[in-house]
Amino acid sequence: MSKTFARARRNEMFLAYAFLLPSLVFLATFTYWPILRSIWFSLHDVMLGDPEIYWLGLENYTRLLDDRLFWKVLGNTAFYTLTTIPISIVVALLLAVAMDSKLRGMAIYRSAFFYPVMIPSVAAGMVWVFLYAPSYGPVNEALTTVGLPRLDWLYDSDWAMPALVIMSVWKYSGYFMLILLAALKLVPSDLYEAARLDGVNAWHRLIHITIPLVSPTLYFVIIIGTLHSYQVFDYVYIMTQGGPADSTNVLTFYIYQTGFQYQDIGYASALANALLFFVLGLIGLVAVTLGRKVHYLGER
Amino acid sequence: MTTTTQTELPNSPKRFNWPRFLRDHWLHVVMIPLAALWLSPMIWILLTSLKTDVEVFDQSAGFLPEKLNFSNYPSTLSVAPFGTYLINSIIVTGSILAGQLVTITLAAYAFARMTFPFKNLLFTLFLLQVMFPIYAIFLTNFVTLQEMGLLNTLSAMIVPFIASGYGTFMLRQSFRQVPSELSDAARLDGCNHLEILWHVFLPLVKPTLIAFAIISVVTHWNDYMWPLLVTNSENVRTLPIGLGLLAKADSGADWPRLMAGTTLVVSPLLLLFMIFQRRFIDSFMHTGVK
Amino acid sequence: MKFSKSSLTRRRLLASGMAAPFVSAIPGLLTPARASETTKIQFMYPVGASGDINTIISGMITEFNETHDGVEVEAIYSGSYDNTEQKVITSLGVGEPPSLWLPINSALQTFLGLDAIEDLTEQAKSDDIYDDFISGFIDTTVSEDRLYGLSFQASTPVLYYNKDAFAERGIENAPVTWDDLLETAKALTIRDGDALKRWGLIIGGGWHDWMFEAYCRQNGLVPWEKDKVLWDRPEAVEALNFWKTMVDAGCMPKASTWQGAANDFMAGTTAMLYHSTGSLTNLRKSSPFEVGVAFMPKKKTFGAAQGGGPIMIAKKQSDAKKEAAWTFARWMTNTQNQAAWGEATGYLAVRKSSWEQPEMQAYLKEVPQAKVALDQAAYSGAFLQVPAYSRARDVLKSAIDRTLEGEVAAEAALTDATAEVNREITRVLRRQKG
Repeated sequence: MSKTFARARRNEMFLAYAFLLPSLVFLATFTYWPILRSIWFSLHDVMLGDPEIYWLGLENYTRLLDDRLFWKVLGNTAFYTLTTIPISIVVALLLAVAMDSKLRGMAIYRSAFFYPVMIPSVAAGMVWVFLYAPSYGPVNEALTTVGLPRLDWLYDSDWAMPALVIMSVWKYSGYFMLILLAALKLVPSDLYEAARLDGVNAWHRLIHITIPLVSPTLYFVIIIGTLHSYQVFDYVYIMTQGGPADSTNVLTFYIYQTGFQYQDIGYASALANALLFFVLGLIGLVAVTLGRKVHYLGER
Repeated sequence: MTTTTQTELPNSPKRFNWPRFLRDHWLHVVMIPLAALWLSPMIWILLTSLKTDVEVFDQSAGFLPEKLNFSNYPSTLSVAPFGTYLINSIIVTGSILAGQLVTITLAAYAFARMTFPFKNLLFTLFLLQVMFPIYAIFLTNFVTLQEMGLLNTLSAMIVPFIASGYGTFMLRQSFRQVPSELSDAARLDGCNHLEILWHVFLPLVKPTLIAFAIISVVTHWNDYMWPLLVTNSENVRTLPIGLGLLAKADSGADWPRLMAGTTLVVSPLLLLFMIFQRRFIDSFMHTGVK
Repeated sequence: MKFSKSSLTRRRLLASGMAAPFVSAIPGLLTPARASETTKIQFMYPVGASGDINTIISGMITEFNETHDGVEVEAIYSGSYDNTEQKVITSLGVGEPPSLWLPINSALQTFLGLDAIEDLTEQAKSDDIYDDFISGFIDTTVSEDRLYGLSFQASTPVLYYNKDAFAERGIENAPVTWDDLLETAKALTIRDGDALKRWGLIIGGGWHDWMFEAYCRQNGLVPWEKDKVLWDRPEAVEALNFWKTMVDAGCMPKASTWQGAANDFMAGTTAMLYHSTGSLTNLRKSSPFEVGVAFMPKKKTFGAAQGGGPIMIAKKQSDAKKEAAWTFARWMTNTQNQAAWGEATGYLAVRKSSWEQPEMQAYLKEVPQAKVALDQAAYSGAFLQVPAYSRARDVLKSAIDRTLEGEVAAEAALTDATAEVNREITRVLRRQKG
């Protein structure tokens, strides 16, 4: 009995590794190898286009500690992530709940909120440069209409980053909405029926039934949202190039600048590794604070 | 509760019953302006694509184009061989997606439903791919592809993306939500892992697969930097590079044609989404979960 | 000569028996190219001006290929100036650079540092390059009296102004001095209560460091030498303080973006604009009013920095390819092509003879604005040709932005930026020396 059990377990193990193998081959070639190289590079003075490399030890990392811009960029990245993700997810969740009801015209709504995901970033960035234009831009026109002051948006170091946040909410909420909607569809509808018959109102149904039941997905969306926030690179690159006064420079863009524009691959690698730690830390934080509370439906 | 279920009492013929209307349709009342807000940039894109160069910035010219000027579309197409670009974009995104679906399904199933040593460590390794900034691995991947002799081929835009930590993560999450009674029942019927995966799990996670497929297609369809770096010839280049010709210029963008180009690049995706979202809904009806 | 030296080294390696794997990896090098074969060369270029410009370049290349037997050029569009430089350098890293490319002239020291570009001095001397190229443009490709490229698309910033706005305020002439500029900008600014309706002036963001160099030159300072920057000099500080004065007077925004600034001008949101001459055609054709072009106002003198790009030829390639590359570069910069290119884009034709072409004369009659930048070019020089120029540009932009935001005083910002950049230049130079 125990012998067959052990054999079954061993078979399962081999099968599992066989299942992982195709992914691992590609990951090893195009992810792990570059990461190892980047750790190696970060200990050297490496110049793009120049085959010579020189040992530096930890100099790139100590340089990082003294780099005023690095700390600023880290702050910007944290600001961007910690505003964009919560806002997008709240918007996405509310939208998803609304779409989960039998609303007429749902297909249209769904397309309306999802289509920004599909606009190529080159074009979306350009469009928002126009929308944010201080004097003739529609955003300011709209603010004036509702009696709010006009802003200089991308021309103002205080507002350039919030401008990117707003744009990102527009661009990505629809995507999170779709994932959450898929999860909502898996929630057994009799739960709602029972609650409704008991006289529980919509708000309480959301807090006490919907959110706990989709919490694994919510948790997942928070993590992918965090990872997805790298995408802001495209907009920084197209719209602001990190300016004005470095106010929109984020880590991914700074890494690109350092590695490709300044050809300083060694330092860029050190920055990339710092980012990796930053993200690991952030995800660890999410895992510790939220992960424990996540409710797995159908989990063994 | 949001749609008009209580229609048996006719509204007063003399006066429109606003409170009643709001109560029954409040969701629409909220959603319509919100959707309009979301759609406004797209409307601007469409309108601009029909304007002339001068109209775009002439504030006295008004919001609508004076007359619909469709000539921006053909003249956009003349800037670059968009036909070739389109075929390449389809091949590249299609191949990436096909490859990814195979790798992530297998890996996600292993992570969600099988026990083996180093599972957590391996899962973290998968996630590393998503966490590490792609610009930091550009250089090494460029060198690797060069050594493989794949530079300036369609493969150069495909192979680095075949494995997806992101997709594996997403699908694992869905697999874990499938009630275990279903797979237990299948196992008692004598199904092996592959059969369970194929017959039980995949049909159930179709919505997730579609959600992943959409984001994968969108990401690679719109990718600009990597294709620009690894391709040289017109015959292997993709659509965003054509758009880049109109946008990334010293002299300011060519607005009407950039927007015409954007519309052209987006429309296949929109069309695909329209088709898929029907399947997206249908797939829930056959899952048997509800 | 270099070529034979490298084959000698290879022979020595072969003798030692260690080179077998390397040699087998590069079989192309062992078979000498037969003369009758077509030499294929690659040319990487950015698109400086949008849309049709790409079709113009590809048209030129098609024509070249049709008229030149034995040479076939593959034109590779490579994004912006930055993208082009990155693509070229990445290819250099794997030892397969394109035969020619078109970077911004500031990259000269970067490519020299990588030992990547061919010295063209002798070929140019035996040709008419030194006689016919406008000397200000030649200077952008010279380092220590050697020539490393042929100017292809020359540009400087110029002052664009909205003639309707000027007429509406009763202003007849474009400002000539910094003081005029400030007064004119004030007069043209329109506010409605707090809401701004029109700025007097916008200095195109993203390249405002390029404009800043022009201001330094106007104040009598070339703000760099080949191994250091000099932004901490009083002339530069004074220039930045002048910008701050304009911002404080409310007639210029603290910052802008390159695309946004052009849009603002076309939409009438700013009455004056500093932007590249390369934008002339676009601004002229897309603005619903008449566009005026003038010299950038002077302080001590007129001044500008060259923004355009030269065609450079790779050093590490076969002699046959070098020869083909020279033929092509020479052809792209010939009288006819330069005239046509300048007319289509607003870039400045680099040859004196191009400006004398009948078509060019006719064009200048129709668009007299096009002549302004050429005249201004007499006061211009190369732009920030220091090692690590790319980082230098970003550091300077940040310093300017922070000053205009009021975060820091001009002098402190420029002193810090100068120290930081010079440290970086020293690092790169030390590295190059080994």
